[in-house]
Amino acid sequence: MINFLARIQKYVGGVALLLLLVGLYLVINAPPDFQQGNSVRIMFIHVPSAQMALFLYLVMTGASVLYLWKRYETADIIAEAAAPVGAAFSVVTLATGSIWGKPMWGAWWAWDARLTSMLVLLIIYVGVMAMRSALDEPAKGAKATAILTLVGAVDLPIIHFSVVWWRTLHQPSSFAGKVKPAIAGPLLTPLLIMALAFAIMAAYLVILKTKNVADQRRLDALDSEGTGHV
Amino acid sequence: MLRAAYRIAWKDVVGDFRRRSTLSAMLFFAIAVLVVFQAAFEPDRQEANRLLPGLLWVTVLFTSLVGLGRVFQAEEEDAAFEGLLLSPMPRGVLYLGKWWGNLFLTLLVEILLLPCMLVLFNVDAWDRLHVILGILVLGTLGLTGLGVLLAALTQAARSRETLLALLLLPLVVPLLIAGVQATGIALTQNGNMLPWLQLLVIFDVVYLSMAPWGFGWLVEE
Repeated sequence: MINFLARIQKYVGGVALLLLLVGLYLVINAPPDFQQGNSVRIMFIHVPSAQMALFLYLVMTGASVLYLWKRYETADIIAEAAAPVGAAFSVVTLATGSIWGKPMWGAWWAWDARLTSMLVLLIIYVGVMAMRSALDEPAKGAKATAILTLVGAVDLPIIHFSVVWWRTLHQPSSFAGKVKPAIAGPLLTPLLIMALAFAIMAAYLVILKTKNVADQRRLDALDSEGTGHV
Repeated sequence: MLRAAYRIAWKDVVGDFRRRSTLSAMLFFAIAVLVVFQAAFEPDRQEANRLLPGLLWVTVLFTSLVGLGRVFQAEEEDAAFEGLLLSPMPRGVLYLGKWWGNLFLTLLVEILLLPCMLVLFNVDAWDRLHVILGILVLGTLGLTGLGVLLAALTQAARSRETLLALLLLPLVVPLLIAGVQATGIALTQNGNMLPWLQLLVIFDVVYLSMAPWGFGWLVEE
């Protein structure tokens, strides 16, 4: 599995780069939004990275279930690799959202439902990473991290549901707004291309990190097998 | 089966009473938090009414962190945890026992804390004390249920108290929102409490049904 990923790595990276360039070209040439003007362009980064931040948590959850159930080490390696990438995408989502929010809402930040959920998601990502690094025994750390990931996966819908009840100020989702189509064709095509580009870029980053984690583990194994001095 | 869980909880609670460690630590920590809040916000009567739900739940949350940090303390020495694992009972029952012990202590602290808080902040809600206590109990079930699982996860970790706080605080956001809203409605008697109570129940049910499994996976070899 790891070897296969290492083999396809550069092709995935190439496709991601190509799609990103095409997407950015389309974004730059798209007409400005009639209400939001040029600020709308940040959405082409914001929405795809939000999707990836959520999707990578799903990947991590799937890998954790697989690890707890079958004890495949590869699943644990992928779970470990997905966490920092997902955290990075959440940071990008929050940062682009704030930059967009300043001209649109007049404030960098509003405690609305989706912003709050995304911030909590970021903290949970950080918690999952901290959990893994806090245990000295790798096998125990892997198990604890997998369980924590499941706890977080169950919590995220509840968090989202509760903050939606609590307050809502965000504009409705771009893909599934009440008015269909909420987003016009000339803006939709670049958005879809960017979403695809971000998905492949996320895959590329996870593959890179997976290789990195696998190498690190082999190194640690050699270290502990060795003469005893570290 | 449940008798075994009860014995574990009993052992923890009695041990704690004899040493007077966790209970008094939690209680005085809670009072210290109240003093800090008073110094920071200096609420007048009207503000106190508005701030009380938030202050109450934040105090409960911080205080429960103190208690949760010590849930597995008794088992740390002399490989006592392995001894507990060797006892012939399902892992879920073991979790249940640890949870009950922590739940009992946390509830006791809350029952003592709430009147203190009404007195210190000059809030006149004595006729609604039982409603607020009911909301607190409902929230504490889920808070301690999730908390004991997280305490088990972080038990062997480096700087575990910090890690426990980092993990618990974001995960209990729904509980905090629902608890604060319900308490606020109980105080002002203005609004519908039911959706918030439902949210508390959902949180409780989800975590109390999940935590025993999680604990079982964690301790199995």
